[in-house]
Parts: sequence; structure tokens; C-alpha cells
Amino acid sequence: MEITWQTIAFAAFAVMTLGGGLMVVISRNLWHSALFLMLSFFGTSGLFVLLVAPFLAAVQVLVYIGAIAILVLFAIMLTRRMMGLEETQNTQWPAAAAVAVILFIILVITVSPLVDEKAVTDIFGDKVANFNANLPVDPDAKDSGVVANQDLNIVTVEAIGEALVTRDGFVLPFELASILLTAALIGAIVVAREDEA
Amino acid sequence: MFSTPTFDELNIWAALPMMALAFGTCILLVADLFIPKDKKVYTAVLAGIGLGVSLLIALLQASGVEIGDKSTAFEGIFVVDQFTHVVNVISLMAGIIGIMVSYDYLERTGTERGEFYTLILFSTLGAMLMGSSRNLVMIFIALELLSIPLYILSGFRRPMLESEESAMKYFLLGAFSSGFLVYGIALIYGATGSFELVNVWQTAVDILEGEGAGQFTLLIGIAMVLIALGFKVGAVPFHMWQPDVYQGAPTPVTAFMSVTAKTGGFAAMLRVLVTGLAVVSASQGKAIDVWQDSVQVIAVLTLILGNFVAITQTDLKRMLAYSSIAHGGYILIAIAAGGTFGVGDSSAQAALVYLMAYTFTNIGAFAVVIALERNERNTITLNDTKGLAQHSPLLAAAMTIFMLSLTGVPLTAGFIGKFFVFKAALEANLEVLAVIGVLGSVVSAYYYLRIIVNMYMIEGDAHPVADKQPLALRSALWLTAMGTLILGILPYIMTDLARDVTLAIVGR
Repeated sequence: MEITWQTIAFAAFAVMTLGGGLMVVISRNLWHSALFLMLSFFGTSGLFVLLVAPFLAAVQVLVYIGAIAILVLFAIMLTRRMMGLEETQNTQWPAAAAVAVILFIILVITVSPLVDEKAVTDIFGDKVANFNANLPVDPDAKDSGVVANQDLNIVTVEAIGEALVTRDGFVLPFELASILLTAALIGAIVVAREDEA
Repeated sequence: MFSTPTFDELNIWAALPMMALAFGTCILLVADLFIPKDKKVYTAVLAGIGLGVSLLIALLQASGVEIGDKSTAFEGIFVVDQFTHVVNVISLMAGIIGIMVSYDYLERTGTERGEFYTLILFSTLGAMLMGSSRNLVMIFIALELLSIPLYILSGFRRPMLESEESAMKYFLLGAFSSGFLVYGIALIYGATGSFELVNVWQTAVDILEGEGAGQFTLLIGIAMVLIALGFKVGAVPFHMWQPDVYQGAPTPVTAFMSVTAKTGGFAAMLRVLVTGLAVVSASQGKAIDVWQDSVQVIAVLTLILGNFVAITQTDLKRMLAYSSIAHGGYILIAIAAGGTFGVGDSSAQAALVYLMAYTFTNIGAFAVVIALERNERNTITLNDTKGLAQHSPLLAAAMTIFMLSLTGVPLTAGFIGKFFVFKAALEANLEVLAVIGVLGSVVSAYYYLRIIVNMYMIEGDAHPVADKQPLALRSALWLTAMGTLILGILPYIMTDLARDVTLAIVGR
């Protein structure tokens, strides 16, 4: 296997993702955990770039780092007692670790048959490839909706946008998601509102 | 490339019950702002009207009036068939009765807020959508729309600790199970390349019969979806949340969610398993067993644990929680039957008939608990039912009807439900499962009949409950009790509705 810049980038992002994730669970300071979580998110977004999914990478940065992780940090800052915690809170960590390892093994067994040799060489080689190209896709499947640029296998933002609003795409789930968000918003108000007694 | 489709192209009218309910919910949300705090009865009435209009349309559709084409809407992502109609009718009935039993409770406990009704409507909409989607993405969003309002409703009686605890437990475990669902959907998509259940069904044969990659992926995906939906309906071993949540949540919410969450969960389970994954080998002309064995095991565990643990309960709400776990087991028997080639449709019919009977009976039983709770107490133990027949004979009579129906005694709706479930199991050659089901009923008779004995034969240490309940609660009691009896005596009302239900793609 020749070493190209993709290989180096992949290794770097993989270390970021996994190392960050590991530090989230073993770090004793909650604040540090939250920061490592951001690092892990960033690594994931880098992996999306390598998989030629620029839109997902951008969403990952904007939503997960920009919104969710920041919210976590705010929540920690606002609950003052949690800032200084140093002792291990989770007494069941060996069991949790065992479950995580088992899940990892299952996932490897699950996903590995889908990744054939060619896809791997394509990614680590100099050709730009996409996992999707190697999946058994039913040509008649209307629902995939996403129109890929065949030459480069890049799913453009336009294609994703169109899939969300065209009638043979995901227009109904898209609309339903707004109803769902409304319901969640009302719920948040009900839960958080002070009683006007 | 991009053109705006017309309403007719989308076949939007076929989805009229859902559209009407979604629209009605939005109106209710705004209208509630203008209703003063001491007049929330108007919000309840408006919510009831919204559900009623939707129910009317659903009933028209269910009885064969064609509103829009009787096929699919939104280009196949949304299915409008008899199954959809019946699920709509069940969910809407549950919503209406749920509101009827709620109003007085909210007023009495000082938790009267307009959002309660909005959330009930949202949740009902979610249950309806779970029955009408043949697309995994839709099923996920519908499940969330069903669940999120329920998490909040469970905690509606804050700052009561039990209620908050119930909401917190339900929310955390529910979010965890949603993760399973998404993971499962992703793996199924990875293996088959489609979210559309019909496409999944077509590709699954090749994957399972051939050497093709992704066999393991597909199976793990199915397992994860099964776990997530099993959690939603409270099947053993994913039932741990149910007793605590049912006990802690405000009683009308428990009544509503014990039916609605099960309706939505089982509807989605039937769609995914019977339509999408009842894989038929073309060469052998019979079903490839993908999930039937696992569902059988889950059904047996659910029946045994639900029925036996219910015996040991002293708190009435908690007993009903375990009993409702057990009733999930009977519906799982029906679903397991759907894995046999050619039984898919009768399995769906049996499950729907059972759900219809269960809707009236179970909400009714909880309505009696609500009536007993009016006596300024929050926990009703089995001792509190002692001597009930003396000071409130009507309430005791209603409770008797519900208990008999939950046991499955003839001339009640519960019997009809059980009859169809066992019939489906026998059609599918699952005799052992049917026998375990019958034995489960026998065990359940012990704790259901004990309440009847308490009410009629044992002198109570009288905490008299007025027989005269507030109007809404009284009507709900009458409606559910009469419904349970009428459906038991004239079963064709519900069996006619369910008769045309077809789910399986082949093998009719």
C-alpha cells in the first residue's frame, strides 16, 4: 500500500476521532470531556471530507461543534458544581467498556463484507471513490432521490436540497420533521416554564 | 427538473385524516393563547372537535368511501390502505377518550394547561403516521412524533416527584431506543440500498438466499429495529421502563399512552416485519424465517413475565402496567404468526382487532382508577377496591366489564381479540404459542377476578367514592364500558373494518 496524502489525512482524522472519543470517557474532568468531544466531532467531519461528502462535513462542523458541543459547554458552565469534579463518577465502567468492545466487534463483522477490496484501494489510492458506488443499489429505487455526479461521485448540496423537496424524494418526512420540532419546542416550554402561580 | 406538483399528483386527499389533524393541532395551538386560564375546558372541547373531524373522515375512508385514490400518497412514501384506516380509527378513538378522561383530572390537580391537549394531538398524529408509512425514514420520524409528546406528558404533573421521575426515565430510555432504531435503519439501508419497504422486500431475498455481501448487516439491522420497536410497545426484555413510567405518570396520560404507544409501535412493527421482511423464497415458495423465531421468543417472555409479575402487585396502576405488558404479548403472538407464508394478512387483522378491543377496555380500566383517585389520594391499592360495589355500584359494574374483557371472557371485546389472535397462531401452525397464550389468560384471570371479588364480596374499609362523576369522565366510562360490551356482542363491527386489511406483498 503506497502512502498518499489521503492515507496520512485519514490516519490523522482517525486518531482525532477515536482518541477524542476515548478521552471523553476516561477524562475525569467534565469540562475536558466536552472539549475532547469537539475534537472527536472535528475528526469525524474530516473523515466525511475524505469520503467526498463535503456537505455532511460542513453540517458536522456547524451543528455538532457549532451548536451541540457549545450547548454542552454552556450547560457545564451553568452548573457550577460540575466544573470542579475530579473523581470517577461511573462505577460501572468495566461493564460499559466490555459492551463497547463487543459492539465494535459486531460492527466490524457487519460492515466489513460491504467494503470490498477495490473500494479500499480506491480510497487509499489516488482515485477519488465513494462507498456508495459499491453498495447494491436497486436502479429502480426512487427513494434514493440523491442525484450523484457520476464522474466524481460527489453528492452535491443541490442534489440533497432537491431530494428534500421533490415529491419523489423526502418532502413528506421533511415537513413532518417541522411538526416534530414544533412538538418538541412546546414540550421544552412546558418542561422549563415557571408556574405563574 | 424541478416542478411544483399539484395536490392531485401528490394524491394529498387520501391523507386527509392526518392533514386535518395536523391542521387542527396548529389551530388549537394558536386558539389556546386566547383562551383564559380558567376556561381551559374550551381547549379540551376544541381538541376533541379536531380529533372528531379527523375520526369522521377516517371512518368514512375505513368503510369504503374513496377520498383520494385508495393507494399511496406522496409518491409511495405514504400508504393509504385499509390498514392505515383502521390504525387511524384506533388512534383517534384513543385520543378522544384520552381527552375525556383528562379534563377533570387536570382541573383537580391544578395542572390545567392548554399544551396538554396540543401534545395529545401531536402524539395521536404520530401514531397514525406510524401505521401509514412504508418508508423507514418516515417510520423513524413518526415514532419520534409519537414519543416526544409522551415524554413530556408523563412529567406533566411536576413538581410531583413520581411524575418527574417517570418522564426522566421514559425520556432517557426512549432516546436510547431511538438510537437503536436509527442504527438499524442505517444498516438495513446499507444492506439493501433502500428505505422503501417494498424495495427492501425485493432485495432481501437475494441477500438472504445468495452469497451476497450484507447478509449479516441486514440481520443485525432487523434485530436493532426489532429492539427499538419492542421497547416502544414494552415487550420483554425491553419492558423495564413500563411499570415505573405507567405508575408515575398522571393517570390519564397512562391511560392514553398505554394504548397509543402500543398502537403506533405495533402498526410500525407489522409494516416493517410483515410487509418489508416477510421474505419469500421464490424457488421454494415458502417463507424464509428471518424474524419469526425471535418474535416468538419475545412473545412468550412477555406473556409469562407480564402475567406472573402482575399477580404480585398491590398498586392498581402498577398491576395494570404489568397487565398491559402481557397484552402486548398477545399482539406479539399475532405478529409472530405473520412470519408464516400466507398468514400475513390474518395476522395483521388479528392484531388490529385485538388493539381495538384493548383500546376501549384498557382506557376504561384506567378511567376507573381516575375516578377512584378523585378521593384525594394518589395511590390506589387493591384494598381500595374493596366494597366498591356498595357505595358506587355503577363504577363497580364498569370495572367488572373491563376486568372480564381483559381476562377474555366471552361476550366482551377482549374475547374477540384473543379469539382472532389464537386463530392466526393456529393458521400459522404455532400451536405451542397459542397454548402458552391460553395459559397466560388463565393466569391473568387470577388477578383480574381478584378485583371483582374485592369489589363485590369483601366489606370495604370504605373511602366512599361518589358514583356521580364529572360529566366528561362519566361519559368516558359509559363509552368505554358500552364499547367493550357492544364489540363483544356484535364483533362484526370491528372484524368488518379489519377484514380487508392486507399487508403481505405476496401470499394472499
